[in-house]
Amino acid sequence: MSMAVVTWQRLRPVGRILAVLIPVLVALGLVTVGAVILAGPIAVGFFADNLPLGRFIAATAAIVVLTIPTAFVVIYMELKVIARMNLRIGPDRVGPFGTALSVVHGLKFLSKEDFTPTGVDVQVFTLAPSVVFVGTIMTMIVVPFAPGLFGLDLNVGVLYLFAMSGLTVVGLLMGGWASFNKYSLLGGLRSAAQMVSYEIPLTLSLVGVVLLAGTMSLNHLVLAQSGSFLDWFIWKQPLAFLIFLIAGTAEANRTPFDLTEADSEIVAGFATEYSGMRFGFFFFAEYVNVFVMSALIVTFFLGGWTAPFAWPFAVSISGFDALGLGVGLLIAVPLVPIVGTLILAAPFWLSSKITTLQALVIGFILFNVLAVGLLLGYAFVSLDWVAGLFWFFAKSYAFVFLFIWMRGTLPRVRIDQLMGFAWKWLLPAALINIFVTAAAITLVSK
Amino acid sequence: MTAHTPAGPHPSLDDPSVRIEDILREGIVEAVPVGRTERQAEFYTLRDGEMLLNMGPQHPSTHGVLRVVLKIDGERVVDIDPVLGYLHRGVEKLCENADYHQTICYMDPLEYISSLFCEWAPVMAFEKLLDVRVPRRAEYIRVIATELNRIASHVLTMGFFALDLGGLTPVLYGFIERDEIMEMLASLTGQKLLFNYMRIGGVNGDLNHDFMSRLGDWMSHAAKQVEANAGLLNENEILVRRARGLGVLDADTCLRMAVTGPNIRASGLPFDVRRSHPYSIFPELDFDIPTRNEGDCLARYLLRVDEVKQSLRIIDQCLHQMPDGPVMAKLPRLVRPRPGRAFAAVEGPRGMYAAYVISDGTDQPFRMRIHDPSFVHLQLVALLTPGNLVADTMAIMASLDPVMGGVDK
Repeated sequence: MSMAVVTWQRLRPVGRILAVLIPVLVALGLVTVGAVILAGPIAVGFFADNLPLGRFIAATAAIVVLTIPTAFVVIYMELKVIARMNLRIGPDRVGPFGTALSVVHGLKFLSKEDFTPTGVDVQVFTLAPSVVFVGTIMTMIVVPFAPGLFGLDLNVGVLYLFAMSGLTVVGLLMGGWASFNKYSLLGGLRSAAQMVSYEIPLTLSLVGVVLLAGTMSLNHLVLAQSGSFLDWFIWKQPLAFLIFLIAGTAEANRTPFDLTEADSEIVAGFATEYSGMRFGFFFFAEYVNVFVMSALIVTFFLGGWTAPFAWPFAVSISGFDALGLGVGLLIAVPLVPIVGTLILAAPFWLSSKITTLQALVIGFILFNVLAVGLLLGYAFVSLDWVAGLFWFFAKSYAFVFLFIWMRGTLPRVRIDQLMGFAWKWLLPAALINIFVTAAAITLVSK
Repeated sequence: MTAHTPAGPHPSLDDPSVRIEDILREGIVEAVPVGRTERQAEFYTLRDGEMLLNMGPQHPSTHGVLRVVLKIDGERVVDIDPVLGYLHRGVEKLCENADYHQTICYMDPLEYISSLFCEWAPVMAFEKLLDVRVPRRAEYIRVIATELNRIASHVLTMGFFALDLGGLTPVLYGFIERDEIMEMLASLTGQKLLFNYMRIGGVNGDLNHDFMSRLGDWMSHAAKQVEANAGLLNENEILVRRARGLGVLDADTCLRMAVTGPNIRASGLPFDVRRSHPYSIFPELDFDIPTRNEGDCLARYLLRVDEVKQSLRIIDQCLHQMPDGPVMAKLPRLVRPRPGRAFAAVEGPRGMYAAYVISDGTDQPFRMRIHDPSFVHLQLVALLTPGNLVADTMAIMASLDPVMGGVDK
């Protein structure tokens, strides 16, 4: 036996994994460095010449990556909030307070068999989840998250949004039709009928907003609402806000309009025959859609990333220059964590029930929390986009909570009531809203 | 979709050389079973645009293992065919090979939501056969226990009605009440679901301290709690709009189809076995028979809310009038009633629950027949559903509240 074989047999599984992984990673790293050295200048030059393209690629990649944590957070929120409303505890096994449950969900989907039943239209069946997923996350590209933090500033952003959410319907219909299952078929047809009907009031309700702002770009819509919370469009367009909220709920397939996957009637609707990651795509798309709907409501009616009120304390720490400390900085950097940990641990150490080690751990955790809080506070005060992100996510998750609250409270409507509501109430209301807004604008401008 | 005139499977399905994948690849093929009876032949003949939709026995909202075949035209239900027997255990036949005491424990899993009523009806029939006089304390305990069981059953029904209409939360609020009652009855009877508490000539065990303290705690907040739970639904616009005017059952149909229980009272007929054919101590108790005239799903739901309040009234009275004394009549271990027949009925949470027993003088019943209201009410599904939407099927079934354990026996 050669030396290599003997060494390999002596290694434990962890060591074997590392023995394979480390050379592979080193090789990959070398290849990457080489590629950057060779192609880097060319790529930089290319993207310097085509700045929007580079920005678009970076933003798309960032959004695709961000989709998964967003879905995780919304799923965890839904499980936990509905559990509280049902007087249950909800997930509490995996991770602190069950926060890692969504990750486990994702891993479960990945590890399950990707089953294709007999008789399905294989191509369409395979394609449908991707279409739904892509259609959902493409809408996020035009959403402005913070000042300067958006994928693409389309001047027809509103139209683009509705085009993309129209793509989702196609995906659901594809899944429902290709599944070769009657429940799926009913679910797909229901989703087609529902989403086509609700897209009309959804679109028309925004006409008033577009008329007021004079733009279809989402960035400019947000800028048109900057100022205090009194400048938000919700006050000028309350009817449109209600219509958008209701139609958005239907568009995101949420209770009380979740007829496409009504579990007590048609089992799981279009997703009945899906398993594994294909179902995972539907699942993720649904929850990302909830977030996107909330983000759109916030963008159109609640001022997007703008702060609801001017920051009352005129604090400016931008003049603070850390390098001015000179050699003192060198001493402060290692000392501050230690001294901070010790100071924060002291009150716990003095308590008789806690050992020294426990007190130190508590002190360290507290110091970290404090440090992160201070850093975030500093960033919030001094950086525009951090404050913008904060307000955007705070408002969006408030609406996510509203959607979850509705799911915990309301029963489901019937299909004829659903269609009747869209065509008999929402559509006329949206039209009236357009006329009133247009008339008001004409009168004021005269 | 093609029309399948004469009812029958796809012609090539009988040919062993044809693979099912090949048939399926040609297009969607409806494998329609051959109708054996006239009704089945009519049901399984599809006109243009109609589709068969099989629901159950593993469907989320068929309340156990009921299977219904829906003939639908788009979302509209044209016809419906309930298929029973997935939970058949042959209990009636089992009873013929068990002695009278042993039959009681076979009764529990029949209507498992309200087991005590399943025990009471046969026990009453046996007592009639044996001419046993049940001690008054035992009768009071029986009434308290069964009325508690009625409340436990009704709060669950109310919750599941909302669940089948898409509301997640109410059923869990209903389960809080049910769980408290089940714990209470567990401390009285020793078991949490299948109590096996009734005995010929009395009950198995007197009231104990644990039960009484739990009951006292619960009674102090029960009425308020039930009211609060009902408040989640009663004024919910979506639920009211969906349930009002849906599945209307008129008084004539009720009488024709032998409907009993809350379902007949929701149609305006005050038929309640506790008043119409009084048994036990019910003639001495003061309670109302709530009725409603609409006969729709909402009325059937609201009537159950009213009944819960009346049950609380009955329990309250029983606790105040409870006499002292034994809880079992003196009976030999092995009872041999004289040859004859006896019929006894109780008012269960779903309707008249009755037992018909024939004795041939041995220690085992010669024949035992259980009349279950769920079985009767399941006929109404086929009567009320056609013309409504698929979603309404669930609402109607939930409001009729069949329990498959009792239907299939």
